[in-house]
Amino acid sequence: MNSTVLHGDAASKSTRLTSSLKRHVTIKFLSSFCVVAMILGVAALPTAGPAGAASKKTSITYWFWGESDIPGMTKWMQQRIATYEQQNPDVKISLVPQSNTTIIPSFTLAAQSKTGPDLDTQWATLPTILPALGGSVTPISNYVSKADTSHWLNTNENTYKGKIYAMPLYMIGVPLVWNKKLFKKAGLNPNVAPTTWAQFLADCKALKAHGITPFGMGNQDGYFGAWMFAIYEKQMLNSISQLTQGVAGTGNAETKLLGSLKSMYTSFQTLIKDGYVNSNVESLSLNQGWQLFPQGKAAMSFTTDGNALSWAKTIGEANVGAAKPPILGTGTLAATYDVTQSSDEFITSWSKNPKADAKFLEWLHEPKNMIALNKETGAFPADNQFPLKDITDPLARALDKLDTSGTSVWLENFIPPQIDSNADIPAGQLITSGSGSPSQAVDLWKQQIALWRTQQPTQFKQFSAWASSGS
Amino acid sequence: MESMNSPSSLQLSIETDERSAPDERKVWRRRHLWPYGYMAPVLIALALVFGYSFVEVVRYSFYAGSVGQLTYVGISNYKELFVDPQFIHSMFNNFKLLFTVPIVTILALALALVINTTFRGVRQYRAIVFLPYILPATAMGLSFSYLLQGNGVLDSLLKTLHLPFLIHDWLGSPSWVMFSIGGVIVWQQFGFGVVVFSAALLAVPGETIEAARMDGANWWIVQRKILIPQIKRIIEFFVILQAIIVLSSVFTYVYVLTGGGPAYSSSVMEFFIYQNGFANGSIGIASAGAVVLLAIASVFIAIYLWARSRAAKAAG
Repeated sequence: MNSTVLHGDAASKSTRLTSSLKRHVTIKFLSSFCVVAMILGVAALPTAGPAGAASKKTSITYWFWGESDIPGMTKWMQQRIATYEQQNPDVKISLVPQSNTTIIPSFTLAAQSKTGPDLDTQWATLPTILPALGGSVTPISNYVSKADTSHWLNTNENTYKGKIYAMPLYMIGVPLVWNKKLFKKAGLNPNVAPTTWAQFLADCKALKAHGITPFGMGNQDGYFGAWMFAIYEKQMLNSISQLTQGVAGTGNAETKLLGSLKSMYTSFQTLIKDGYVNSNVESLSLNQGWQLFPQGKAAMSFTTDGNALSWAKTIGEANVGAAKPPILGTGTLAATYDVTQSSDEFITSWSKNPKADAKFLEWLHEPKNMIALNKETGAFPADNQFPLKDITDPLARALDKLDTSGTSVWLENFIPPQIDSNADIPAGQLITSGSGSPSQAVDLWKQQIALWRTQQPTQFKQFSAWASSGS
Repeated sequence: MESMNSPSSLQLSIETDERSAPDERKVWRRRHLWPYGYMAPVLIALALVFGYSFVEVVRYSFYAGSVGQLTYVGISNYKELFVDPQFIHSMFNNFKLLFTVPIVTILALALALVINTTFRGVRQYRAIVFLPYILPATAMGLSFSYLLQGNGVLDSLLKTLHLPFLIHDWLGSPSWVMFSIGGVIVWQQFGFGVVVFSAALLAVPGETIEAARMDGANWWIVQRKILIPQIKRIIEFFVILQAIIVLSSVFTYVYVLTGGGPAYSSSVMEFFIYQNGFANGSIGIASAGAVVLLAIASVFIAIYLWARSRAAKAAG
């Protein structure tokens, strides 16, 4: 009997346990459901709430870069956006400033997922053309009339098969700047810049002999080396196609290209070995290295127009001279100057409002905005409507004269970004750090060009087609 | 009220007994299977986040080009990796950084043993030692850039101390850059080690130490024969963890201090993967690099698991 009672107890307990467990589970399930429902409800709020009304606005996300080229550029853009939003209350523009190190990687990533910016800034020519050929850029000439684009300068840097892919905003030249006070101190003529490589080395020698660092630059990020390539490899060439055909591997163009690179790196190495560049060049970034000039710690530097004007304010305009970089090479392109739109603005292919994007970019080129660009930053607008008579500052006039003196090429724009980052930049670092010879720098180029061709077969085909088109 | 041992009650209990077997099975099932139901969302999330990513990385490693322009190349990316001087150099740099593991472990253990006594301000001292570990990478990168750059703070100090032969461009010289990065890793991971070891030492029963002291053991014997063996498992865990960190989590140090330069001399596998995958958009070679890195890190994880199972077996 007892056992029967016990059985009955167990059954009863079991039943109670089952129903208790059921209740417990039900409560847990219901509470979990409520929590999930609350989370979903909260998540859904923005679209149903007051922000829902705001979603009617045209929203433009703009990944912007320009501060490194021209100090004050981001502020100018922020002010333009504020004005534009006031004039167009149905448009909301979110500005996302980019840095030298994020400008390409961020967009590469965005292009892979086709999300991110509606408008993007990219360095001119190949960093813009290659994503365009990969389907990530909408040609701006589809939305802006020819009458308007005809005012834009250097559109050839981003034109392919008759379509303009991006809009230039400003032009920058890369002059040699020198500190007249320090030149005088070294017994040099403060009003005469070195025009040949030999004169340049002689001036460096004189400055060094007086305890002055002749040339101030930074190459931790590799841009000094990249600039030496842009300025001096160009001087070795007779045409840009010598470079592009060399990269594409047409005939014996690659061998010729590598030969000219070796000459350029040999001269670069002399500059370093003779101690004419600041000894910490390899641990300073380009921007950090530049600061040596306005601090009076280096007598010469290569920089941008914007920086030259900014430094003149620091050390006095009378103390700053600007000229074309000294001539080293004997190629036809040695006579050209180093002006580029540097960066450009374009509409991404995934933008939902390309017309609104184009309207804003077009508006930036209105004369009042271009005048403001020059007044607020000292930059030279990339627009032929800009009244040059407005430039009254003597140094600015001298820089503008250099920029408009004839044909200009910025060679770095004409190599694929992967070769720029994997060959151009580290090859220059091999030289500045003293860890490699010119031959090793050239070997690196050769190896990285080969790797790029195999790793980016589609891009290689597109590049070859672009190179052979002579764009 | 009906008695429990009445015939009707007996009838009910028999019926209940007949029902109880399947009910118990239901209860058992609910008790044992329900937790899996709770775990399911996490398991699904893990499968999506890690499983899917892993499969995609392996798949991409057989392709060349960027996403949207992929070309199947078989095992070419793996072949290219092992002839690419940048990747080989990066891999060796990771191995070089393994030398920081014994340094961090010994230094952290030594300090943890020293401060494993109650003295005034010991808690504050532990917190101060831990501070570098929680510093943001950007702040750390900026500080060490100024400290270690050529003609920087360290060089100026050495100059003041009349030690010119020690002056170097610590971040700009290919010969010194890995030492500098290794030093920064030791500096930051040291605090973490001290905290881990201190916590382990605090868990050692005080009676054991008391007994050893009563048997005449001095401070050194207590450390060597009692405390260190007691926290052996934690030391093993820390060593493996540090080895995995220097293999697969040193990107931040390299990125903020040197950007992989000069000329790849401070590049590590993670930086190689970032450079190719993000900066160049060469997803295939980056994925192949990631698979190799995962394989190497897995070796260390396997060693750790083997050590743990051996310890469990030894403990019976």
